[in-house]
Amino acid sequence: MMENAWLIPLIPLFSSVILLIFGKQLRESAAYIGILAVLVSFICSVIVLVERIDAPTYKQEIVWLVTGEVNITAGFEVTALNTLLLVMVSLVSCLVQIYSKGYMEGEKRFSIFYTYLGFFTFAMLGLVLSPNLLQLYFFWELVGLGSFLLIGFYFYKKEAKEAAKKAFIMTRIGDLGLLIAIILLFWKTGSFDFQEIFSSIGAGEISGGMLTLIALLLFAGAVGKSGQFPLHSWLPDAMEGPTPVSALIHAATMVAAGVYLVAVTFPIFSASSTAMETVAVIGGFTAIFAASIALVQKDIKRILAYSTISQLGYMMLALGTAGYTAGIFHLLTHAFFKALLFLAAGSIIHAIHTQDIYKMGGLWKKMRLTSPLFLIGALSISGVPLLSGFFSKDEILVSAWVNGNFLLFWIAMITAFLTSFYVFRLFFLIFTGQPKTEVVSKESPFSMVLPMGILGILAVCSGYIQTPWFGSYLGEFLVKGNKFLLVPAHSEGPAWIMAAAAVFSLSGILLAYLIYVKQTISRNFLIKEGSFINTTLINKYFIDETYYFTVGKTVKGLALFCSYIERFVIGGFEWAVTGTIRSLGSAGARLQSGQVQVYGVAVFAGLAVLVIIYALTGGLIR
Amino acid sequence: MTFLLSVLVFSPILGILLLLLTSKQHESNLKMFGFIGTVPPLLVSLILYQYYASGASLADFTIKNNWIRFGNLSQYDAKLFTVDYELAIDGFSLVLVLMTALLTSLAAFASHSIKKEWKGYFVLLLFLEIGMLGVFTAQNLVLFFLFFELTLISAFFLVGKWGFAEKEKAAYSFLLYNGIGSAILLIVIMILFARAGTTNIQALTHIITIGGVPTIAPISATMKYALLVGLVAAFAIKLPIFPMHRWMVMVHVEAPTPIVMLHAGVLLKIGAYGMIRFGMGIFPEQFKSVAIYLAVLGVINFLYGAFMAFIQTDFKRVLAYSSISHMGVVLIGLGSLQAAGVQGAVFQVVSHGLIAALLFYLVGIIQEKTDTSLISDLGGLAKTVPRLSGWLLAGSFASLGLPGMSGFVSEFLAFLGLFKSEPWLAAIGSIGIVMTAVYMLRAVLDITFGKEKEKYEHLTDLNWLQQIPAGILLLLIVSIGVYPSLLGEPLQRTLDAIMIGIGR
Repeated sequence: MMENAWLIPLIPLFSSVILLIFGKQLRESAAYIGILAVLVSFICSVIVLVERIDAPTYKQEIVWLVTGEVNITAGFEVTALNTLLLVMVSLVSCLVQIYSKGYMEGEKRFSIFYTYLGFFTFAMLGLVLSPNLLQLYFFWELVGLGSFLLIGFYFYKKEAKEAAKKAFIMTRIGDLGLLIAIILLFWKTGSFDFQEIFSSIGAGEISGGMLTLIALLLFAGAVGKSGQFPLHSWLPDAMEGPTPVSALIHAATMVAAGVYLVAVTFPIFSASSTAMETVAVIGGFTAIFAASIALVQKDIKRILAYSTISQLGYMMLALGTAGYTAGIFHLLTHAFFKALLFLAAGSIIHAIHTQDIYKMGGLWKKMRLTSPLFLIGALSISGVPLLSGFFSKDEILVSAWVNGNFLLFWIAMITAFLTSFYVFRLFFLIFTGQPKTEVVSKESPFSMVLPMGILGILAVCSGYIQTPWFGSYLGEFLVKGNKFLLVPAHSEGPAWIMAAAAVFSLSGILLAYLIYVKQTISRNFLIKEGSFINTTLINKYFIDETYYFTVGKTVKGLALFCSYIERFVIGGFEWAVTGTIRSLGSAGARLQSGQVQVYGVAVFAGLAVLVIIYALTGGLIR
Repeated sequence: MTFLLSVLVFSPILGILLLLLTSKQHESNLKMFGFIGTVPPLLVSLILYQYYASGASLADFTIKNNWIRFGNLSQYDAKLFTVDYELAIDGFSLVLVLMTALLTSLAAFASHSIKKEWKGYFVLLLFLEIGMLGVFTAQNLVLFFLFFELTLISAFFLVGKWGFAEKEKAAYSFLLYNGIGSAILLIVIMILFARAGTTNIQALTHIITIGGVPTIAPISATMKYALLVGLVAAFAIKLPIFPMHRWMVMVHVEAPTPIVMLHAGVLLKIGAYGMIRFGMGIFPEQFKSVAIYLAVLGVINFLYGAFMAFIQTDFKRVLAYSSISHMGVVLIGLGSLQAAGVQGAVFQVVSHGLIAALLFYLVGIIQEKTDTSLISDLGGLAKTVPRLSGWLLAGSFASLGLPGMSGFVSEFLAFLGLFKSEPWLAAIGSIGIVMTAVYMLRAVLDITFGKEKEKYEHLTDLNWLQQIPAGILLLLIVSIGVYPSLLGEPLQRTLDAIMIGIGR
């Protein structure tokens, strides 16, 4: 199967094309085609993963374009990291497509939705299989297109339109960094190919400063895609898309592409300590920054979006502190529990048609299946012991500690506390207390509950692939045979970290319980309502406003400046030229007086001048 | 076989005859014959491609007949001061000929919207096609110039008579600017002819680059620079390069949209073609030393066009400035003097031809349906005309250089080249890559997304026939984007020759 791995992305693309052409006739049975295609992809991915466990990396390429003396190639590669992501992406995509069948029921553009989902899945799987940076960039932009189309799915809504545009443009700013990094790497190493680039770096062919610059530019791409500060603000707005899309693209897969990029180009980063520190600091800062915003928001999807940003920050922090395995591990577990949370949120929104958590309440009894599944997701993301999030977060904390970056370690610890607090604030406000809105339908249909159930199981169990107790299977699988990856399969840290992390996370839950259920502590305990901090947090630190008044105004100003040049400088010049010619013309017309004597004089004068010039120079032009 | 190129270039005459024999009242017949007239060149160019693809040498098609002889100098040298009728084709020309023939057919198809005097319109359109095909196959500068002028004259009347509100003004502006360009070009050609005794491109290339051939009068090094600058200036107006672009915006806005398809798609490319064939080809040494200025101008074009496009209120103006911006990419690629950059420039010539044609085809339909191209007047079209909006969105993503479409390949290669030779300049220019997305999405989303407007509730969507041109264009755009070797292979020989010329 490994030599046919290229089929894995193409199957969803094929279904997407079929649906684009025949969607109108197929109506809601479009879902079956989409689901079937991605299911086949998933099964193939699992086969490839199993084969890869005992086999070396497989790679196959063709010439894509000859430019100068260089053959630019395209192909695919099956590495340890690839296969894991193939399975994760195809699985989550498959589950989300099953879920969407129920969620999107009655939607007029049902088949279009599946067309887009298929296209996105194709692009994401293609991204993962890319053996070189140019091809990665190729699919990198295509997932951006998929994301754009799906955010703007409700195109008639103004917010959706703006959000789609914002997402595409903001990520493109980061992508520009990535593109420049790719070009610079090409001129330094003569190749786009990962293996060749790593060999060149290993041989020390690139100077330290250049390497740092390249790594930082690469990271700019990751920052844009993974919603890291300062290019994060598109991600919460992207929640305008349908909820299954938020689960698939803006929680589990595409936004993790930035983390994947850093992981896949890890040898470049690890060759520059400045770059590594930047990644760690940006990651750590984003983690706590986004978590703090999530504390006070009231839209269920936006809270989850900020939570995603924060968790992606964790992953970056892990990679930046050389916790390669930890970053990937958290990427996988996060995909499961965050997709679960989003799908459960979608199930709630589906039932009560609001996203405002202050209008929810008392849903525990009404939604007998969604509620415990949401709880599993919440416990897992909070890092409650024995669930998947607990193990992956622990791995990150350990790697930060081992790396010796204690400030970042404690930031990560506090973020763990904030995380469990805001997630359980969400949980208690939605599920406990008195119902505030009429529940339209009770529980969601089977097609929606089934995927949530599967994700629930994964959110509980997936942590056991890498534990300090049973063994670090994941780490060994990732590191084995990868000669460019100089990291341990597992970081050994002091045992108290695990205990401390558990305490921090449980105390967050306890605090949320006391405030929102028992109400023994006032809601103003942490942050006073109406205070400066509160307003700042509710307004997300005024980041969007700042961008509007700086970047937005600058661009507008430059554009106006250009139009003034056009109108006055160029226009003025045109006016001057035509004016001169016109006046010359009218002067010339006056010369044409009809007096033959005057003409004769002019002719002789002209001739005389020519003769003199000729005599002096012996020919004018040489 | 040698007759094939003559057939290619002059086959539109068949259509012209057919049109002349038709009554001028007969609208549907005229439209049909107009379209049919564009089919023979398309077929011939496809036959040529077929020959090429099956491995035949394109050199076999070269045709060369005695034509004009100046003076009585044959006793010294049979070739002295002669202008032959000579046509030839190589990979680069073949690609452009194919594109010209295809776009003319599509434009003739889109000319359904022309409201009056169909006879004159289609006759001129076919003359325009003769001119364009001739330009890309002519082997000496005089012949090139004649075909070049033919395009100018036919386009002038097409714009001036069948355009929108300010058509006359636009046509005069077009004629004046291009007239200046032509005048400069003519002077350059005449100087070369007077001094070298020939205008054959190959002969000139040999004389200028290698030398060792006795010429009528010497061409000094300074003279070579002057000639190159003249050539570049002449073609710069055509491309157009900032600040000589205003005529082109006017033409884009005022000309009938099928003509704009050809104008943006093919006519602007003559500027690029001339710069590459004659500028880089004949004067490689001199070109190398002006390359940096071209690169700077390219970056200015790229950014200036992008910023201007950002604040336009008329979608046609957005696209016009977008064309200026994209022609900057051609200059960026050429100015880089890298194999990758020059390849990118040539790719951009083809890619932008297809993308601009697609977008103007769609704008023409929008204008026909809604009577406006003002962005603020439109909005929410995706609700009522989803297919039209879908094609428009696809076209705009092609334009903003989405990977998988041809625009990405050319932009990437051009910048790849410039980052090697002038990294800082390239870094500044690359801001335009983001700006392209900004202005394109602003315009297209304002037209298609958002709340639908009541007055457009009853618009009819594209039927399958109207989707064919868009489909063909998008198919080509995507094919090149996904597998660029498709275009890279025919261009390879020409590019190699150019790169050897400039010594890289």
